Amino acid sequence: MEFADMAHLAAGLGAGIVLLGAGLGIGMIGKGAMDAMARQPEASGEVRTAMLIAAGLIEGAAFFALVICIILANT
Amino acid sequence: MTKTLRTVLLLSLFLLMAGKQAVAAEVNTYNGIQEEQIEDIDAIDYGDIDVIGMLGDRYYIEFEGLFRFYLPRILISEGLHIFSSTQSAMESEIFMDEYFVENPGEYIQGESGPVTYRMVRMDGTPVFLDMSLSKHVLWFWLAGFLTLLIFGRLAGKYNAGIGRDTAPRGSGMNFAEVLIIYLRDEVVKPNIGANYKKFTPYLLSCFFMILFMNLFGLAPWGQTPTADISVTAALAITTFLIVNFNGTKDYWRHIFAMPGIPKFMLIVMIPVEILGLFTKPFALAIRLFANMLSGKMLILSMLGMIFLFAGLYGASLGLFSAVLWVPFTLFIYALKVFAAFLQAYIFTMFSALFIGMAMEEHGHHDEENIMVLPATSH
Repeated sequence: MEFADMAHLAAGLGAGIVLLGAGLGIGMIGKGAMDAMARQPEASGEVRTAMLIAAGLIEGAAFFALVICIILANT
Repeated sequence: MTKTLRTVLLLSLFLLMAGKQAVAAEVNTYNGIQEEQIEDIDAIDYGDIDVIGMLGDRYYIEFEGLFRFYLPRILISEGLHIFSSTQSAMESEIFMDEYFVENPGEYIQGESGPVTYRMVRMDGTPVFLDMSLSKHVLWFWLAGFLTLLIFGRLAGKYNAGIGRDTAPRGSGMNFAEVLIIYLRDEVVKPNIGANYKKFTPYLLSCFFMILFMNLFGLAPWGQTPTADISVTAALAITTFLIVNFNGTKDYWRHIFAMPGIPKFMLIVMIPVEILGLFTKPFALAIRLFANMLSGKMLILSMLGMIFLFAGLYGASLGLFSAVLWVPFTLFIYALKVFAAFLQAYIFTMFSALFIGMAMEEHGHHDEENIMVLPATSH
């Protein structure tokens, strides 16, 4: 296997693993927010904001990993 | 619903598999050779759909099927050079497309146009700055003008008293007021705090401009400037500058001398905090860019499936498969309308959050940390 092929393979695998982690994280936040909203519907506005902030932070971390995948894919 | 969807997906997958074998079988019988021979997938004509070309930045505005309008090239390289189009820049014999410089002899005047659109000096002098207008820049400006026009007029109305003394008049004004009030009360005020009035104009302009840019891509012939990393980077840098110019003493103290932690930990903390300074706007830019680009790519890929099917199985099946792909595209399209609002909202909210974090006054909260942290670390 050539170096470039290995880099492409790594990029694909990396993107998949990143998605696993980010999906798990955002899913858990969604679950937590949904639970909280069901328990206290009057606080749903604040819960939603907090949920989006946490999801955004996870997304940010996932994007850093994805950028590495993109760099690998372009080698 | 999920069962139907699964059936449809499985069916399409099956069709795809079956088609490949059908192509292979066809080749075998045609050649009269017994041995297994699978046709190279690259050799099949998928039709002409240039997804990457449609997503990338170009130095012309194209209304496909109608006309193509070339934009002026402005190049700074030992003085200012302005050309009416890329073609005329190439005919000036000062600049040349990068491709023709690397492959000399291929350029024939009047026959071969620009290929890569990257201009280089023929005498080897480096181009200092390429300030050319591109289609993303133009759509970016259009979003800015639209924001100025609509909200400038709206502000005039409010100054005249309509909406303040009376109820807002007209559907446009009502709709804008719903969004503005929501953003001010739910996003800007809770995140920034007492000093929110100073930043509301910036955050509102940010929201509406990004919203317009996101929605442009959904219009026929429209482009999404936010699907370009330079545009989102410019927006994120603006936020970065505003955050750091409004940082309080506490904000900088938390970066360069985090209170309440052992001194030797500062060796680790300071680089991490400085890195965090830049990762915040970086994530802001990448988030918007990736979301917009992926949505656009998804729509084009979905529609491209029709052409792929037509190339694989013939035009009639391609046409038939449109029954499947057009509703899928419509679904993604509706999702993208939602994402356009959501991403504009998220960008605004994070900008507000970062500004709020920089403006935060900590008070005696630091002393508390000094008391608590050593106790818990033992």
